[in-house]
Amino acid sequence: MAKYSWPEKPTLLGTPVKRLDGPDKVTGRARYTHDINRPGMIYGKIVRSPYPHAKVVSIDLSAAEKAPGVKATLAYMKPGDEVHYQGDPVAAVAADTEERARDAARLVRVRYDALPQVSSEAQAMAADGPKWSTTQPNTRAGQRAETGDLEAGFRQAGHIVEQTYSTHVITHVCLETHGAVCEWDGDKLTAWVSTQGVHQCAQGFAQALGIPQTNVRVITQYMGGGFGSKFAPDSQGIICAKLAKAAKAPVKLMLDRKEEHLDTGNRPSAFAKIRAGVSSGGKLTAFDGQSWGTGGAGAGSGFPLPYLYQFPNRRRVHTDVYINAGQQRAMRAPGHPQGCFLTEILMDELADRVKMDPVEFRIKNAPPLAPNAQWIKYFQEGAKRFGWDKRHATGDPTPGPIKTGMGVSAHLWGGAGRGSQAHVDLMSDGSVVVKCGTQDIGTGTRTLVAIVAAETFGLPVSAVKPEIGDTIYPFSGGSGGSTTAASVTPAIRTTSVNALDQLFAKVAPTLGVTPDQLAAEGGRVFVRGNNSKGLSWKDACKLIGTEPISVDGKWEDGLSSSGTSGVQFAEAEVDIETGVVRVKRILAMQDCGLIVDKLTAESQAYGGVIAAINFALFEDRILDRVTGQMVNPNMEWYLLAGMSDVPKIDIVLNNMPERGVIGIGEPPTVSTASAIANAVRNATGATIRSLPLHPHKVLAALEQERAGGTN
Amino acid sequence: MSPKDGFGFSRRDFLKTAGAGSLATAVTAAGVAEAHAQAGVRALGPGDVPVTLTVNGRRIDLRIEPRVTLLDAIRNRADLTGNKRVCDRGACGACTMIVDGRTVYSCSTLAIEVQGKQIRTVDGLASANGTLHPVQQAFCDVDGLMCGFCTPGFVVSTIALLEKHPNPTPEQARKGLDGNICRCGTFVRVMEAAMAAATSSAGGVRRG
Repeated sequence: MAKYSWPEKPTLLGTPVKRLDGPDKVTGRARYTHDINRPGMIYGKIVRSPYPHAKVVSIDLSAAEKAPGVKATLAYMKPGDEVHYQGDPVAAVAADTEERARDAARLVRVRYDALPQVSSEAQAMAADGPKWSTTQPNTRAGQRAETGDLEAGFRQAGHIVEQTYSTHVITHVCLETHGAVCEWDGDKLTAWVSTQGVHQCAQGFAQALGIPQTNVRVITQYMGGGFGSKFAPDSQGIICAKLAKAAKAPVKLMLDRKEEHLDTGNRPSAFAKIRAGVSSGGKLTAFDGQSWGTGGAGAGSGFPLPYLYQFPNRRRVHTDVYINAGQQRAMRAPGHPQGCFLTEILMDELADRVKMDPVEFRIKNAPPLAPNAQWIKYFQEGAKRFGWDKRHATGDPTPGPIKTGMGVSAHLWGGAGRGSQAHVDLMSDGSVVVKCGTQDIGTGTRTLVAIVAAETFGLPVSAVKPEIGDTIYPFSGGSGGSTTAASVTPAIRTTSVNALDQLFAKVAPTLGVTPDQLAAEGGRVFVRGNNSKGLSWKDACKLIGTEPISVDGKWEDGLSSSGTSGVQFAEAEVDIETGVVRVKRILAMQDCGLIVDKLTAESQAYGGVIAAINFALFEDRILDRVTGQMVNPNMEWYLLAGMSDVPKIDIVLNNMPERGVIGIGEPPTVSTASAIANAVRNATGATIRSLPLHPHKVLAALEQERAGGTN
Repeated sequence: MSPKDGFGFSRRDFLKTAGAGSLATAVTAAGVAEAHAQAGVRALGPGDVPVTLTVNGRRIDLRIEPRVTLLDAIRNRADLTGNKRVCDRGACGACTMIVDGRTVYSCSTLAIEVQGKQIRTVDGLASANGTLHPVQQAFCDVDGLMCGFCTPGFVVSTIALLEKHPNPTPEQARKGLDGNICRCGTFVRVMEAAMAAATSSAGGVRRG
C-alpha cells in the first residue's frame, strides 16, 4: 500500500464547504492588487503604440517630465524598434495621481513611421499581401500528424463531407486588469501582482531586472480572474518596478480596460478545411484537415484536431498565421474549444448523412469506456436526463418564427498534478497553520488547502489557517492547466500526515500505546477502536511542548491523476426573423476524480459553461480591416452575458474518489459552444460553421439554406 | 424588451440620465449644483477643490480635482477599496453604489456632484461587529462568488433590488441584476443568493 492515501470515509472531502474567503469578498475587505494603497504611493501609466505596425523614430519625454506631479518617466522602446500591434508598450510615466499620470502620458511625444499592417488571416495568407513584420514571414508551418491509410479510409467511406469551419478570437477580459504595485527597499523588491503564479512572477522580475530571485517577494492574496493570461510580470510589471526604482516611491500600475483587451492575451482563431468520410454503417473512416489560425504578432495557434472521436485514418496539417494584433496566451482549456467546435459540427453533418441520431453516432465513434474516458456513459445517461428522446430531426417543424433544437458535444482534458511544496505548523495551543505558495484565482484553492488539512487532523475547516499567495511560502506552480487542485492538495495531505505522525509520537506515551494505534477524528486524538481512550485536540497539542511541530512536505504520486471526460447537452431557441439565439438549457456531465469541495467544484463547472455561452453567442475581438484598430476594446461593445442571458444549467459531477484529485477549471468550458451550435442547426436546419453565432451569421445561414442548402 | 418594472425605468435608462447630468453639473459649484445650473455656470478647477462626501454615514473631506470620479475619490483618496473599477465606463456594474436610494455606476459619476447625498458602498454593509448583511450572507452560503471582483457590485445591486422589491419575481431579479457582469460565471448562484436573501429576510432587508 502506498504511504499516502485519501481517507476511505472522509468527513469533509466531497462535501459542500463554503469558501473561506467569502466574507472578505462580499464585504469588500479582500484586498486585490487593484486595492493595495501604500504610503507615498504614486501611479504609473504606459504609453502605447496607436499603430498596429510601425517603426519608432523618436521618443521625447521632456514635456511629460515637466508635467504637474510627474515623478518618473522611461522609454521602453528605442528609436528604430518596430511595434507589431496596437497597444505595444513604448514608454511610461509615473505621477502623484492617476489623473495626472494619464495627462503626462499624453504629453509623451513618440514619432512613428507607419508600416503596412495585417489585420486578418486572409490578408496575411494572400500571396502579395502586406507583411506583419519587416523581418519574419507571415506564416509558419505548425502541427503535422498522419496516421493510417488516408486513401483507403476514403475508399471505405459511403459518404464524404467537405467543409470549412472556423472560430474567432476572444480576449480574456479579466475583471481585475493586469497590473502590479511595486515597492523597493534598497535592492529588494516587493511586488503585489494580479497573477496566477507568484513564484513564476518572482522569477520573471529577477530575470528582467537583473537581481537575485531571493530579493523578490511577490504577493497575491486575492486575484480578479486570469483564465490563463496572468503568469508573468509582463511589460506592465517590469515597467512598474522600474518606475518605482526611478521615482524612489511605491508605484501602482494597473492597466485600463482598453490596454487589457489589446495587450494581455487572447484565444487564437482557428480555421480548418476538412474532408471527412463515414461508412454507410456510421463508422468514421477518414479525416483530412488543413488548419490555420492566428495567435497575433508572432505567436502560435495550435489546437487538437480531429478532436476526441476515432478516425482510424487521418491527416492534419496546421499553419500558424501572424497578424498585427496582441499575442495570444493560454485561455481556459487552450486549443480545446476550437478543436472541439471544428470537429463537433462536422460530426452532426456526418450523422445526418448516415441518418443516425447524433448521440448514437457519437457513441459508435467514441473511445471505449475507461476511467478517464466516460463519454459513452455520459451520452447515455445525459440523453435520459435531458429528454433527448423529445428531440426532433433536423429542422423544427413548428410554425412561427421561434424554432427550438437540441445539440450535444463532448470534450476531454488532462489536469494532472505536479510538484508542489507545503509546510505545516502545529502549535501547543492547538492552532494549525498550513502554508503553500500557491494562489487562489477564484477557484477556491485557499478553501481546498484548509479542507485537506482539516480532514487529515480530524478538525473543522475553521480550525485550520491556510496561508497562500506569497513567495515567502513553499514553492507551488502556476495556477494553469487545471493542475492546481491536483498539485496542491496532495502536498497538503502528505505534509499534514507527517505532522500528525509527529503529534501521535508525542501523545502515544501518555495514552500508553504506540503511535500507530492512534487516530485523529472529530476534534480528538484517540486509540483506534476505543474512542473514549484519548484526548481532545487541544489537550493532545499541549504535549507538543515549546517547540512547535513544524513539517515540510511535497506532492507525491498516488493522490492525484490526470484525464477527464465530459459531455454537454444544449437546448436553444432561434428567432429566424431576427437571427437571435437564446440558450434555454444546458446539461453538463463531468468528472474530476475525487471531489474536494462540492460547492466550489460545481461553481467551476457553472463558470465554464457560462464562459462558453459567451464564446458561442456574444464576445468577439473585432479588428478594423483598414486601420488594424480594435473597434470594441471596452465592455459595452465587447459583449458578455448578463443575468438575463444565462439559461437553466444542470451540473452532474461524477465523483471518482479512487482516481485521486483532478482539476476541473477548464474541461467544462470546452464543448458548450459546439453543443449550442448543433442545437441551432437542429432548430433551423441551417448549419453555421463559424463562431460566434451572431444574428447576422444566423440569418445568412438561413438565407443560404433557403437558396439550396448549407449542407 | 421586458415590461418596465417598479423602478419606473431601467437601470440603464437611469444611468443614461445620470451621465448627462454629470456633464451638466461637472462645471457647477459643489453641493448646490442644481441651483447654480439655473442661475448660470460657475467654473471650478482646474486644480484641487474641496469636496465633502457622506459615505456609509461617515463624512469624508477631500481636496480633489473636479474631474475625479466618485469611485476614484473613494478608492484612491479615502482607501475604501471594496467597490471595483473594471470597465471604467458604466458597462459592467462592479463599481455600483447606492446614492440617495438609487444605484449608480460610480465610475461614471463625478464625486463633486454627489456632495450632500447619502452614498452607500459595499464597505459599509456589514454591522460594526462584523455580522454580514443578509444579502452578503446569502452570497457566501450558496457560493455566489468566485474570484470575487464583480461581487461587491452584485451585492450592492442585490440590496438595491430587494429594497425596491422585497419579494422579487425571478424576472424582476434578473432585470435588477442585468447591469452587472461576471467573468468567472457566477450568475446561477448569484441569482440563487438574491432569491434566498429575499426569502430569509422576508421582505425586511435591513437598510445598510
